[in-house]
Amino acid sequence: MAVLSDSDRAELHALFMSDTSRERQTIAGLSKPDLRAAVNAADDWAEANKAAYNNALPVAARTALTAAQKAQLLMYVIRRRYVVGA
Amino acid sequence: MASTDVLAVFGPLNNEPPASSFATLDVRNGHPVLDFDAAADESAVFTGILPRNYAGGGLTVNIHWAATSATSGDVRWQAAIEAIASQDIDSDGFAAAQSASGTANGTSGVETITAITFTAGAQMDSLAAGGAFRLRVTRDADGTTGTDDMTGDAELIAVEVRET
Repeated sequence: MAVLSDSDRAELHALFMSDTSRERQTIAGLSKPDLRAAVNAADDWAEANKAAYNNALPVAARTALTAAQKAQLLMYVIRRRYVVGA
Repeated sequence: MASTDVLAVFGPLNNEPPASSFATLDVRNGHPVLDFDAAADESAVFTGILPRNYAGGGLTVNIHWAATSATSGDVRWQAAIEAIASQDIDSDGFAAAQSASGTANGTSGVETITAITFTAGAQMDSLAAGGAFRLRVTRDADGTTGTDDMTGDAELIAVEVRET
């Protein structure tokens, strides 16, 4: 899978702002263009490191899970580490 | 009435939301507010009657707002007036919107007041004393008329219409 399209990134940008607004999370000193640059960078990082993540998984999971399931697994771990557990 | 006199005041509960792209009603510590999205233009509409003692000058629309979460950045506000006299209410007839920018306070819950000015006549859709009108307030989130770079929602607290 290649990086997200510009429209997908724009949608994520809007979704992030909508969700953080709804949750009343403080975002200090970050403009909309700055946030969009962060979305782009996060997607670029995911693309650049997808092979490394896949190789980090044990062989059994690497073989049995689909790409979407591997992504979902990573999402669960990150969420637990940085969102729920924050 | 004379210059600087208050002609109308509207709160979030007075909003008559348009059919689409509308600001959404919310509550913040018991304060009703209207949330304007950061990524797409949204509007709120208020109906009033211009007091009969209006002296014929221009208008200033003061938008009282606060950032939902941001502590910096600019919001681009727009306001447009529709005089209802002679207007077929089955369609919209707003005059061209006027715009102004406001900067978020360093504390997200503290208000900023952004003034949008109208000259008498066409900018006000030739609204006259005693005339019914609609006022449409829009966040120009996509920055068509000027910079709007504040992350997150802008929350409208109140709108004041004064004679300039």
